Amino acid sequence: MIIRSLLLRHGRRALPKSTTPSGTLRRRTLTGSPSIQQQEQQQAPKNTLPSEIRDPTDRIAQDFAFFHHQKAHTQHLGTTVASHYRPHELVANPPRPQDITLELLMASQAHIGHATSLWHPANAKYIFGVRGQHDPIHIISLDVTAAYLRRACKIIKGVTARGGLVLFVGTREGQARAVVRAAELSGGCHLFTKWIAGSITNGQQILGACAKKVVDENDVSIPGFGDQLPLTAALKPDLVVCLNPLENYTLLHECGLHNIPTVGIVDTDVNPTWLTYPIPANDDSLRSVQVICGALGRAGEEGQKTRLARARQGIVVRMPSHGLNPPTDGQAERDLEIEERARLAEVAVQEELMIEAEAAAVEHVRQRRAVKDSEAPDAELAELAALEDGGSVEAAMFDRSLKRGQDEDEYDAEEDTLQSYERDRPLSSEELAEALAVDEQSGFDQDEFVSPDDAPERSDRV
Amino acid sequence: MGRLNHAASRVHTHATQILQNTRHTYPPPWLAAIQTTPPSEKLVRPVLKRTQKPGKRSSRIFQPVNITYEEDKLRWEYFNDHPWELARPRVVLESDGRDREKWDWSVELDVALNRPRMRSKDPFGRTGLAWEMVMEKQAARPLNGEAVIQRQHHLLTHTSLTPAAAYDKARKELYRIRHFRETERRVAREEAQAVGAFFGPGPLEIGMKLEDKAYENWKEWAIKETAALKQIQGSAYTGVGTEEAEEEMTPDFVEESPEELELVKESLPGSRKGQEARGGAAIHP
Repeated sequence: MIIRSLLLRHGRRALPKSTTPSGTLRRRTLTGSPSIQQQEQQQAPKNTLPSEIRDPTDRIAQDFAFFHHQKAHTQHLGTTVASHYRPHELVANPPRPQDITLELLMASQAHIGHATSLWHPANAKYIFGVRGQHDPIHIISLDVTAAYLRRACKIIKGVTARGGLVLFVGTREGQARAVVRAAELSGGCHLFTKWIAGSITNGQQILGACAKKVVDENDVSIPGFGDQLPLTAALKPDLVVCLNPLENYTLLHECGLHNIPTVGIVDTDVNPTWLTYPIPANDDSLRSVQVICGALGRAGEEGQKTRLARARQGIVVRMPSHGLNPPTDGQAERDLEIEERARLAEVAVQEELMIEAEAAAVEHVRQRRAVKDSEAPDAELAELAALEDGGSVEAAMFDRSLKRGQDEDEYDAEEDTLQSYERDRPLSSEELAEALAVDEQSGFDQDEFVSPDDAPERSDRV
Repeated sequence: MGRLNHAASRVHTHATQILQNTRHTYPPPWLAAIQTTPPSEKLVRPVLKRTQKPGKRSSRIFQPVNITYEEDKLRWEYFNDHPWELARPRVVLESDGRDREKWDWSVELDVALNRPRMRSKDPFGRTGLAWEMVMEKQAARPLNGEAVIQRQHHLLTHTSLTPAAAYDKARKELYRIRHFRETERRVAREEAQAVGAFFGPGPLEIGMKLEDKAYENWKEWAIKETAALKQIQGSAYTGVGTEEAEEEMTPDFVEESPEELELVKESLPGSRKGQEARGGAAIHP
């Protein structure tokens, strides 16, 4: 017996096929979640125009408002992509110490050690085992890694909470971004090029020219020490974080000589006694280094926040003596003057660069004019005239693009009185009807546009 | 660098001593933090292996152990039988390291081909809806040798199949889906070409072109080497030759003016007459 489908014998389906596999699927898989219509209602725009706009007639403000309007209406459309690994997020938004899991460390290849013949036996207790038959490598225990990483994070948090200066060092290729970001979060210093031997032991010679500043407990700069600061010793870090200790033995040795604690990533071939707080992990994988450095940076950020919160309440930790005397009379004013002069000099330099850029643009226009003399000389002359009158380069270029539009698209100058937000927004139903009415009057063919309600029954329409 | 330097581990002790001996100094910011969280013990080697014989000591008890899994034997067997599977590129990048929570190896590898017909169930008892629910997650599984091994391991642990039967079942599922996908690609390529698409050279064509280029380079090198070799041989030749041989012996690539050639044409080093003396004892006895 042949069973025929009763819905339709031939032709197209009566109803459009739903995009989800089956209507009941939604109920079963998305347990507790609303249907698609409800979701749309929830995400419908409530108040798109930000309340911060002061001048509604400003062109930029209107573009901004239009952008947010579009975003609110279209952001929820389309597929939702599941969260997955995005390399830049490890630097832009690093994981916090609370977010470190064994799965994350494994996905970041932090467990991969070196060949067994290259190991340092002092690392034996960090190693989980040996993997491979022909070229065996050591596998680092990830629970050990996580434990040591959390310990190091506690140290950094403690140091930064008491106003300590942390130096992040990562001299291998590709570690610069992570190191800079971690230093930025912890309020410390970074180094991604070669460590100059003697920067700590011979600091007055090597780092003597580096600028210093004096800040109070709320990190506000205090003027008045401009005469004393060049004579003081170069700052030494209170904690050093080294992402590749194998290449920075000199740095770690100097830290040992000056009693500075060190934190670092220890691979299976690194000597762990070089560091105060080793973190056994893979130092060859950029992803694992970024995860670890990111967590340490986040710990430093937490410490900074704690310190500033306490300082606002008046709780301040005493720092070791800095060897500075109270500022002499008039020194503060002199320092401020020097600062102001430096700022003005920088502004002047920027302006000079702008003028040079404008002159180069004028030169470029002149050359183009010389080349394209046959084509529309009047437009270029007018443009040059506008420039020479003192208009800006941007205004001249904008006018030029406008005029080009005029020639090409039969652009109506009167239309341009509308602002961009008004011009580009979708038409409402009344405006659409108006536009159609206008078209009707201008002899638009009625038959070409028929509203769906008035359409006659046609056999080939769905 | 044989001796060990323990300065890094003794920072706290050192700092405390300095503080005790100097007056009017506040401790550095890190001292309290290190006091709360002291550094770990270093240079400790835990016992990792057991000695083979109870009474005897072994020097290897401190070395890390080998990590082995049951799948290793399965991998050995599979990749020995399918060596070219090792040549297939494999993505080792992981997103969050929790792939084992996503992939369900009780689902067959060729599930994509087993969609049940309308209002009927497939051999595994799934309706169309159930198949769709399974496919939502399992369609993203990578289908390679590793998938065969995981499937085989699942069959061995959760079913009563013999090892040979489990291996056959798993690999045949892969064969089926691979065959389908390769045919699909070939047909898609033909369909595209029928409506005007064109493709660039495939890996075999590119390989041929590279080989041709290498051959041409070699040929140029060989010509130069041969000419150089002939020149060396020609200059080293001290044998007796006939008039015809003398004419043949003149090298082709010598670029001298005809007048110069005329001067020395009669005198050749290896000829019967010998080279004409233009100086020395013959001229100035």
